[in-house]
Amino acid sequence: MTPPRRLTRWLVALVVLHCVVAGAGFFAPYDPVEQDRDHPYLPPMRVHLMDVQHHFHSRPFFYPLRLREGSFDQYQEDTAAAVPLHFFIRGADYPLLGFLPSRAHLFGTDGTRIYLLGSDAYGRDQLSRILFGGQVSLLAGLLGAGVTLSLGALIGLAAGYYGGWRDDLLMRTAELFLALPWLYLLFALRAFLPLTVSPLEAFLLVVVVIGMVGWARPARLVRGVVLSVKERDFVRAARGFGASDMYLLRRHILPETASVLLTQAAILVPQFVLAEMTLSFLGLGVPEPTASWGNLLASLQQYSVLVSYWWMYLPALAIVPFFLGYLGLASALQQRAGTYKIDEQSSWSPT
Amino acid sequence: MQPLLRVENLVKHYAAVRPASPKDKFAALDGVSLSIPARTTLALVGESGSGKSTLALCIACLEHPTSGSIWFEGIDVADLHENQRRLLRPQMQLVFQDPASSLNPRWTALEIVSEPFFVQGRFSKQERGDRACTWLDHVGISRKMANRRAAELSGGQKQRLAIARALALEPKLIVLDEALSALDYSVQAQICNLLLELQSSLGLTYLFITHDFSMAAHVADEIAVMDHGRIVETGPSEKILRSPAHDATRSLLAATPRVPEAQPTLVNS
Amino acid sequence: MRYLLGRTLHAVFLLFGVSLLTFLFSALTPGNYFDEMRLNPQISRETVAALRAQYQLDRPLPVRYAHWLNAVAHGELGFSFAYNSPVGPLLWVRARNTLLLTITATLLAWLLALPLGVWSASRFGRAPDRVLSWTTATLLVIPDLVLALGLLILAVRTGWFPTGGLASVGFENLSPLHKLRDLASHLALPVAALVLTTLPMLVRHVRASVAEVLDAPFLRAAVGHGIPHRKLLYGYALRAAANPLISLFGFSVGTLVSGSLLVEVVMSWPGLGPLLLEAILARDLYVVIGGVLLSMIFLVSGNLFADVLLYWSDPRIRIAASAK
Repeated sequence: MTPPRRLTRWLVALVVLHCVVAGAGFFAPYDPVEQDRDHPYLPPMRVHLMDVQHHFHSRPFFYPLRLREGSFDQYQEDTAAAVPLHFFIRGADYPLLGFLPSRAHLFGTDGTRIYLLGSDAYGRDQLSRILFGGQVSLLAGLLGAGVTLSLGALIGLAAGYYGGWRDDLLMRTAELFLALPWLYLLFALRAFLPLTVSPLEAFLLVVVVIGMVGWARPARLVRGVVLSVKERDFVRAARGFGASDMYLLRRHILPETASVLLTQAAILVPQFVLAEMTLSFLGLGVPEPTASWGNLLASLQQYSVLVSYWWMYLPALAIVPFFLGYLGLASALQQRAGTYKIDEQSSWSPT
Repeated sequence: MQPLLRVENLVKHYAAVRPASPKDKFAALDGVSLSIPARTTLALVGESGSGKSTLALCIACLEHPTSGSIWFEGIDVADLHENQRRLLRPQMQLVFQDPASSLNPRWTALEIVSEPFFVQGRFSKQERGDRACTWLDHVGISRKMANRRAAELSGGQKQRLAIARALALEPKLIVLDEALSALDYSVQAQICNLLLELQSSLGLTYLFITHDFSMAAHVADEIAVMDHGRIVETGPSEKILRSPAHDATRSLLAATPRVPEAQPTLVNS
Repeated sequence: MRYLLGRTLHAVFLLFGVSLLTFLFSALTPGNYFDEMRLNPQISRETVAALRAQYQLDRPLPVRYAHWLNAVAHGELGFSFAYNSPVGPLLWVRARNTLLLTITATLLAWLLALPLGVWSASRFGRAPDRVLSWTTATLLVIPDLVLALGLLILAVRTGWFPTGGLASVGFENLSPLHKLRDLASHLALPVAALVLTTLPMLVRHVRASVAEVLDAPFLRAAVGHGIPHRKLLYGYALRAAANPLISLFGFSVGTLVSGSLLVEVVMSWPGLGPLLLEAILARDLYVVIGGVLLSMIFLVSGNLFADVLLYWSDPRIRIAASAK
């Protein structure tokens, strides 16, 4: 496939994935914090088209789960009470795109709740939590990458353009940051800040912390571009007309860094989403009851959950298609720029 | 009448790449003096590394000389504050050797020629476009080409574009730093022609830097020969060609490929 | 020689920088270990104050840093509030466990990556190579957290491997052979997690470097000389492709301490990882600094080690360095 088509393919795939998460309210049947204490740790329910009498139904349905006789966590399908699935149903309120009130959901039921991916300790629907959790984790990754790239670009531009002692100082600092083990730095940064904060504050804190860890590599790359562009004759020529430094940076040099920054973005976003997941998993990130992919996995730290409730692992898989998409995008971007170096895709850490 | 440009004892030192001692420096220009009367062409001939490009950059105020002075229309350029110098810059423009590097490949021809107006903050957007088109016409770039990106143009067209850009601010002096060296012979002849036309119609003064003696002889009234950062010989073209006085001049002349039947004939473009 | 000295000095500066940074950090951020204590009504204010004075937390920052530097110069790394014992021995025990894990995993990863990468490069573009490329691509897409948790679930549901810890109960009573088996079974899962996350990238690097070299004229000349295939691959191609791989190896050495943090926490391996996490959560300052410093020492030594190896193995670098 020719490079532009490859690029488009990955871009489209990523956009679709992000749209699904952005439209979490629509795709998810329930509110992510809505509890149902009567049904903790329900396994995933199956959707049927054929009932036990082998009759075909055109409308999909499911059987609610009832506790098996004599056990307290074994469930079986109650084949006597089929509950039909409705599509484009009106359900719980949610803000579409954050501000438009809406009640439309892709699917749902009247009455008995359907748990396509099971439920957690409080009876909350895992599917809904995964979708809404994705909003938090992805946003953290995107914003974090934004912070890092802005910081890195600024520093790289200053170091590369002005040179001299400023360049030395900035690059030595960058070397220091690159030398630090990023996970340690992340934890230390996060943990030295107040631990018990509101979900929003925690989220912002996570974004800032993640953003400040990884600026060194983009800064070095941007600096490299600036150094090579600075000496080109068209920059000299513009100076010959009396162009100011700001003009040169803005109109000639910055556009040249776009390709590097884009590639870095494609590499950093998944890393930062993972960073948020790791932080939240260990209790240093977004707290309950707000869902994020990380804290959805936190219950796996209990042995009982590991043994009996395998569906609690599913949120971990949610990130895999995104990783695939971003990785593919990054490699397509690099091939297009002709700078495909294997170094750029080193292990899942900014260092 | 005072010359348009006068350079006196220009010295430019660069710090050595691998300094053996703190005082280690490389003298690109080692006391250069020359003068160019208005509306004439001075050709500066020399080998690579003789300091020609450094001189060009200093004259165009893109490098600061270590010592010496540059007088433009009687004003000491080095003496000026940068803001004042900025006002003077439009008067002296530089055309570089490699148009692939001197033109931003992503920009269109129109954008490139309009850039000087934009930077100097003159004229409305409409006027900038109009003036740019006028200059493009002057150098023989069609309207169709105007909206093409620089990367899509041929070598000759690129260099015409570079010249158009240099002309945009209506300078008095144009320094051409090996501007034709990267082009094919036939294209060289065309551009040469163009330059001579422009000189007579616009009253320009040229500092024509080259390593090709035959071209120098063709376009210039006077030739100055440069070697290791110094001017070793100057004089009217004819005289230098016929009776070179300095060794460097002689070796340069000997190295110039001469097609029998004398000078390259101009092809009318 | 001067080159290496220069690099070592550089490394030392880096260490200073990091320790200073960490110290500064702790000072700028609110909260310390004794805040929790202060909230506890059973402990009197005077006791807290006395403890603080004992640990010198009320002295200004430069003083504390100077004291700490002094202590480090004497081989002590400070005192842990939470464990109420010196930091040094605490770190050492845990570091040993971490190193056991990471050294095993690193060796295994490299021992697998080299032949796989070389083999893949020699069959570049053909079916076996493409299968391997697909496998590495798939593994790369799975982040370490997901992989570690997945392996854990596998272990739990199949019961093939223990799900945490270093040794089973009653370890001391086992025969040496059984001890080894027990250790191996405990190591299996964390090592697998580490190897699976690092192997794909290593294989790719090896494959890329060797593939680049296989095109070189000198190698074709060697083929013309009739040198047997295996010797060609390992003796000639791999050696020529070694430079980037040596740097990578140095990086592997460098992350021996810090690279397994997450795996250790997830799989309950009693190494530096869980210790550090605890210390961070409890704001046990000197443990954190000690841990960060230890991992930094390894990182910096790893790079230095790679520099030395490169210097020793590549004559071009020796010549360039001595020319300066």
